[in-house]
Amino acid sequence: MKILYRLHSVRKCYGVNVVLAIEDLTIAGNRLYTLIGANGAGKSTLLNILAFLSPPTSGEIFYAGHRVDWDRRSTKEYRRKVTLLHQSPYLFGGTVYDNVAFGLKARGIPAEERQAIVENALDTVGLRGFGGRKARDLSGGETQRVAVARALSLKPEVLLLDEPLANIDRETTGVLETVIASLPSQGTTVVMTTHNPEHPGRLNGEAIFLDGGRVIPRSTYPL
Amino acid sequence: MDFLISSFAAALRLLGDLSPDVLDAVGTSLAVSAGATVFAALFGIPLGLLVGLTGFPLKRTVVTVLNTLMAVPTVVVGLLVYGFLSRQGPLGVLGLLFSPTAIVIGGILLATPIVANYSLASVRGADHRIVPTALTLGAGRFLAVGSLIGEIRFGILAAVIAGFGRVVSEVGVAMMLGGNIRGYTRTMTTAIALETSKGEFAFGMALGIVLMTVAFLVNLFLGFLQRK
Repeated sequence: MKILYRLHSVRKCYGVNVVLAIEDLTIAGNRLYTLIGANGAGKSTLLNILAFLSPPTSGEIFYAGHRVDWDRRSTKEYRRKVTLLHQSPYLFGGTVYDNVAFGLKARGIPAEERQAIVENALDTVGLRGFGGRKARDLSGGETQRVAVARALSLKPEVLLLDEPLANIDRETTGVLETVIASLPSQGTTVVMTTHNPEHPGRLNGEAIFLDGGRVIPRSTYPL
Repeated sequence: MDFLISSFAAALRLLGDLSPDVLDAVGTSLAVSAGATVFAALFGIPLGLLVGLTGFPLKRTVVTVLNTLMAVPTVVVGLLVYGFLSRQGPLGVLGLLFSPTAIVIGGILLATPIVANYSLASVRGADHRIVPTALTLGAGRFLAVGSLIGEIRFGILAAVIAGFGRVVSEVGVAMMLGGNIRGYTRTMTTAIALETSKGEFAFGMALGIVLMTVAFLVNLFLGFLQRK
């Protein structure tokens, strides 16, 4: 079993406020994890740390066995392996194609190759033929799907999803659940936050319960 | 009332006849304003972005100074630059006083705080998800900031236009540093002041119409950009 993340004594504080305090957490490769917790439990804070966007105040994080130093060069390298999809994703001005191709361009993928990858990613989320549409003209559900396609196009080792199934229509929920559940078998580890305790079972994932910034056993989680 | 109407008619005739004096003043005004705006953009945009995107000690003080500089009277800027460029001043040897270059220098000082402040406002008003989104998609810091600039490009363009508006409509700097020399440093605003004081009200009004038209077009374009 390949261990991707290992967190040890990780704390994140804002002033005197401790919003995350994780003693030990291990995330293995090719699995699907759901982070379950109430608002303010520390789910999004943890995702931002796992995405290498925000360093912890203290503690150690290992990624694929390497200690993360949080220097500019190495975090950029880690970020190219891990993609975070925000709860309310931002689409850049321009077309859907421009958005999905953004990360590929940043990685220097040639234009012809990009075209095929973008079309495939849009196809996966049920948006074939949407490439030329203006990103700002899309509905909420379409925006969410484009953001997922943008993340999938990068074939990340880890896909972090912040409440991807919140506030979207039933059709989009169905499409995204199918896509998300299939990712571990394709080599992408998924860590997603949710309020819904049914998601781990429905997506065949493992649940991590957070309460007050701490990982707690399922038995003590206030359902 | 007859005086105003007859002056307005005479002003339109002057414009229709393409009076060389009117054309000279319009050309000088647009040239020095454009020159000052280009340099103000070169200094002001990076300054606004730097202040908006980075945290540093005394940042609030810098923002307050920038805000204050936006409201500096043009004659004060004229006075300051005059002190540097006059024969006894530290840069007097360059012989720039009463030249279009002197007006451009004053214009740069007037427009830079405006361009910087508007750029800063654009950065502050930008969606806070832009940079994290770019970073998590694998962009480096440089590309992430580039993406932010791309997203707020209309705000930055509006900043540049506001800077141009400030320079083209001012009179203090142009009068003190240009000297209002006919066919050389006479701008629309200094010509209006001079011709009106000489009793050539129609001439002043003709230039006023051009100036208002320029201001109207600039604001029209600004409004168009803000709706984008």
